[in-house]
Amino acid sequence: MIPTLTHTKIQRQNMTLMSFGFVLGLVVLTSLSFGAFSIPFPQTLAILFDQMGLSFGSYELQQSNVLLQIRLPRVLMAIVVGGGLGISGAALQGMFRNPLVEPGLIGVSSGSALFAVLFMVLIPTATATFSWVKLLGLPFFAFVGGLTCVTAVYQLSKSQGKIDAATLILAGVAINALAGSLIGLVLFFADDSALRSFTFWSLGDLGGATWAKIPLTFLLIVIPSILLLFNARQLNTLALGEQEAFHMGVNVQQVKIRLLISCALIVGVGVSMVGMIGFVGLVVPHLIRILFGADHRLVLPGSFLLGAILLNFADLVARLIVIPAEMPIGVITALIGAPFFIWLIFNLNKSRN
Amino acid sequence: MLQASQIHFCIRQRPIVDEVSLQLSPGEILAVLGPNGAGKSTFFKILSGEITCKHGTVGYNGHNIRSLKSKELAAVRAVMPQHSQVNFPFTAQEVVELGLISTTSKNPQKLIEEVMEATNTIHLNGQVFNQLSGGEKQRVQLARVLVQIWESKPFPRYLLLDEPTSSLDIAQQHAVLKILQTLKSRNIGILLILHDLNLAAQYADKIALLKNGIIAKIGKVEDVLEEKILQDVFDHPIQLIKNAATGVTHISAATQSYSAIPTFKLA
Repeated sequence: MIPTLTHTKIQRQNMTLMSFGFVLGLVVLTSLSFGAFSIPFPQTLAILFDQMGLSFGSYELQQSNVLLQIRLPRVLMAIVVGGGLGISGAALQGMFRNPLVEPGLIGVSSGSALFAVLFMVLIPTATATFSWVKLLGLPFFAFVGGLTCVTAVYQLSKSQGKIDAATLILAGVAINALAGSLIGLVLFFADDSALRSFTFWSLGDLGGATWAKIPLTFLLIVIPSILLLFNARQLNTLALGEQEAFHMGVNVQQVKIRLLISCALIVGVGVSMVGMIGFVGLVVPHLIRILFGADHRLVLPGSFLLGAILLNFADLVARLIVIPAEMPIGVITALIGAPFFIWLIFNLNKSRN
Repeated sequence: MLQASQIHFCIRQRPIVDEVSLQLSPGEILAVLGPNGAGKSTFFKILSGEITCKHGTVGYNGHNIRSLKSKELAAVRAVMPQHSQVNFPFTAQEVVELGLISTTSKNPQKLIEEVMEATNTIHLNGQVFNQLSGGEKQRVQLARVLVQIWESKPFPRYLLLDEPTSSLDIAQQHAVLKILQTLKSRNIGILLILHDLNLAAQYADKIALLKNGIIAKIGKVEDVLEEKILQDVFDHPIQLIKNAATGVTHISAATQSYSAIPTFKLA
């Protein structure tokens, strides 16, 4: 007798996602209360509940200012960007049918960065004062850059309807190198202060998160993420191959376009808001697959939640280890991610032999 | 009716499929045989819609394949390609369930169960697909394909299989072909590429012999199975042996004598 499949599986998936949500809540609370200026847990809760009109205890005005004006937007930014990196990593891996794919590896991140830098240098007046031009222009430019690069990599690595893994990595490396050198070229003509802000930005920086940026970021990351969730079954069929997906009635071309645009939007907006943060998009989907299997109906939402958890955690570490200064968050994610990547390659080699 | 008429397909000016026409009625098994490089797989891909062909038409139940969307096409035909790889740790059951995407089944659980029972894959359900043996993978893929057309529909449907028995042992080969035979009563027409003449002779209703992109012979099994035709198509001596007890014709491709093998003198 076959175990009742759909029902228990869905139940298990919901439990998994709920426990992820619970962990995310804990990490967020911890992240809100710890830092250079520490706010005890009861006060943290009191401030949050007070915002909802519930009296829960007393707190000082300074505490509420730090929490609401500095930490909360930062934590929200980490949730949405980390989640976006996780889910887009999972979707791109599924689409390319390659577990090594990551937004940083196939040129989405560097393409976004290149166009973002171009925008900042070409429109210097906009960077000086925080205006709507910058708020909208920067993510849009980053999106276009990311989409251009990922499309180029995809076309280069495709031959006879199949994606060749080796060519894919090579094309990614080439596009990354090209984008990197162009960024260098643009920066060569930039002034000193732009240069310094960029070096920090290239490793990722959540410190710039303000309330002004939050609504737009949420909109531009959450909507494409939801769109990705609706394509989970199609991604499952793509795992068998593009031809097989077509045989099963999936409009492969349309699905791929949807996936590419959504991922480029998520990563582009993320890069333009907090800079390049590597390895989240690679590590997170893998962890989910190892723990819970390959079904994208779980991998996609699970990657979003785990990405949000990991980025918040990394941000907490980045803020705590060198108080009162801050470590760039990319350093922390790479510190976790690079050893994992090595372990992954090692294991892939072993399983092939 | 699945109808292909005057399919002509060239790669670099060289015709791979040359003015091929055939018909497949529901409730019929048509085996396509031929030597390597005869154009079987290309023709197969044109029929399944994987390759679009400028010359000639493919029609499913009277609808031109080019006017059908991939979803509409999936409702009338299922395809089992030769090799499918899965790069992620899907379980066998998850792979079978992928076939559900084009169906509107009210009871998907029962459907999956029936198909996995029929393909003898039910015991594999929780195992990771990539770790299965070649034969098990092939049966799981067959189950996945069958899910797509298992539930009965008021219109005829078609099943295309490219060497579905290539990794199976003798018992499983016959098991698979027996499953295909049961599909005939479900108003399904089956076209399959085979390499084993005996399997084709035993289970098919019609045989098409393809050589150099041309149909050398198509017709009922007993009309096609003639020593001369088979020898011409395969460029190999072939003998038909009739089993006096069962009345079944067996095809033997053994060379008549060892003299056919060139011997080299040792210096």
